Amino acid sequence: MKGLLNWFEEHFIPVAAKIGSQRHLVAIRDGFIAIMPLIIAGSVAVMINNLSLPGYDHNALMSKIFGDGWRALGGNVWWGTLAMMALLVSFTIAYNLAKSYDVNPLTAGVLSVSSFMVLIPQMFVSASVPEALDGIAVPAELVGKTIGTWGNINWSFLSYSSLFGAIAVALIVTEIYVKLVKSKKFEIKLPENVPPAVSKTFATLVPVMITIFIVGFAQVWIDKTGTSVSKFLLDVVQKPVSEVGNTLGGAIAVAFSNHIFWFFGLHGSNILDPVMQSVFMPLATANADLLAQGKEMTYIVTKSFFDGFVYMGGSGTTVGLLAAIFVFGKDKAQRSIAKIAAPTSLFNINEPVVFGLPIVLNPLFFLPFVFGPVILTIISYTATAVGLVPMTSVIVPWTTPPVIGAFLATNGSVAAAALALFNLALTVVMYLPFVILSNRKLEKSL
Amino acid sequence: MKDIMLVCSAGMSTSLLVVKMQEAAAARNLSVNIFAVSEGEAINHYDKISVLLLGPQVRYLKKKIEKQLEPKGVPVEVINSLHYGTLNGAAVLDAALELAK
Repeated sequence: MKGLLNWFEEHFIPVAAKIGSQRHLVAIRDGFIAIMPLIIAGSVAVMINNLSLPGYDHNALMSKIFGDGWRALGGNVWWGTLAMMALLVSFTIAYNLAKSYDVNPLTAGVLSVSSFMVLIPQMFVSASVPEALDGIAVPAELVGKTIGTWGNINWSFLSYSSLFGAIAVALIVTEIYVKLVKSKKFEIKLPENVPPAVSKTFATLVPVMITIFIVGFAQVWIDKTGTSVSKFLLDVVQKPVSEVGNTLGGAIAVAFSNHIFWFFGLHGSNILDPVMQSVFMPLATANADLLAQGKEMTYIVTKSFFDGFVYMGGSGTTVGLLAAIFVFGKDKAQRSIAKIAAPTSLFNINEPVVFGLPIVLNPLFFLPFVFGPVILTIISYTATAVGLVPMTSVIVPWTTPPVIGAFLATNGSVAAAALALFNLALTVVMYLPFVILSNRKLEKSL
Repeated sequence: MKDIMLVCSAGMSTSLLVVKMQEAAAARNLSVNIFAVSEGEAINHYDKISVLLLGPQVRYLKKKIEKQLEPKGVPVEVINSLHYGTLNGAAVLDAALELAK
């Protein structure tokens, strides 16, 4: 075991360190974490509009209380949060990246938002005048003429579809800006009696101007090709990545690698978080966007899927292990750890179990800890794919207690709560033989 | 007064340990300030801490944080995983005070 640990420390820690402290990945992750309260608020707004509890007509009740327009509230909040997600992260990611370089983060944030807008095609929307409008005949000389307005933005340029565009723009623009600021070549020298605050604004002026004009020039060229940054990245990167992530294989890969990291005592969820936040979290919001527009949801594998059905009680679904120990465990040390860990496990925090029991590098619990969640992933994926359980569209805080999390993530689906319960029961069964095995070991050593 | 900062992924599991460490400090009549933050937030506190302890699950951040804290002379150490798992506040407090000397 010692040899394995050494091997792992030598080969995996550097990789984990690289991913866990790579500044661009960290900026992306923290950028998404910064907008999490808004994402949760938007999710709740969509949930309010689409609650589907059995045996009760949500729409009828809400209409009775608030009138027919009751969906407007949820719609408004959704519009400003989930539907504007790309716009929001274009600020927060640039902010965090600039901060990591110790360069004024506010300037980088607004510069990124501004650049993101520069790269959105300015649309002219036109329509030809019909023969009649609302049953009123239109004068013949106007029929067929086009009327239009300029200055429109398609909302897809600000929402989920443009997420990778927003990420790329934030990273690239901030890199350019930071390089220019740090080069100091463009600082305007002012007389010494000018207050430092004034000269500071000038110090950012030239780098900002150069950056935004570079972006503006790039858009001239990009626009000629008939596409846009966001649309191009959507087709070439975001869609393929999401498609792979949304397969059973993709889901298994995430669950498996997370638990391998944890088995070696590394925070797997933290290391994988850049992927979780930029790919699987948005897939839940993509479902919410579809739901908000009255369309069918399409993504099975989302962050809420893992939180709701697999990571119950924390990575390794250790709530099941605690239950098995409480009922069958004979080892006093094990039982006391289980007692310490139980209250926080209800909120999916399980470090005391992982390090105290321990699970880390403990061959006894390797199989159920790593492969148990993989089995739960397969079961939950299948149950969702065949339609037994609805897809997840609500982003629920990861500290939401098991079962309740799954219930909320699916707009109040009892079937989803039942699946979560089933998964929990199955986990108890999977951990049980290994708890009994540890009892036997204890008896032998006595 | 010594300021001891604990860092993990979200600052949640280390905050459990903080409570135990504060109890241990109170029992000894020590005046220390102990708190836990998330990895992303840690950098905002660098100027006012005497020692930084990392949760063992984020021990891969040690090199990066050491580099950031080197100019300030603040020691960085990973919490012993057994002390961490059993929430042994007294032992971690001892280790922290030893480092902050």
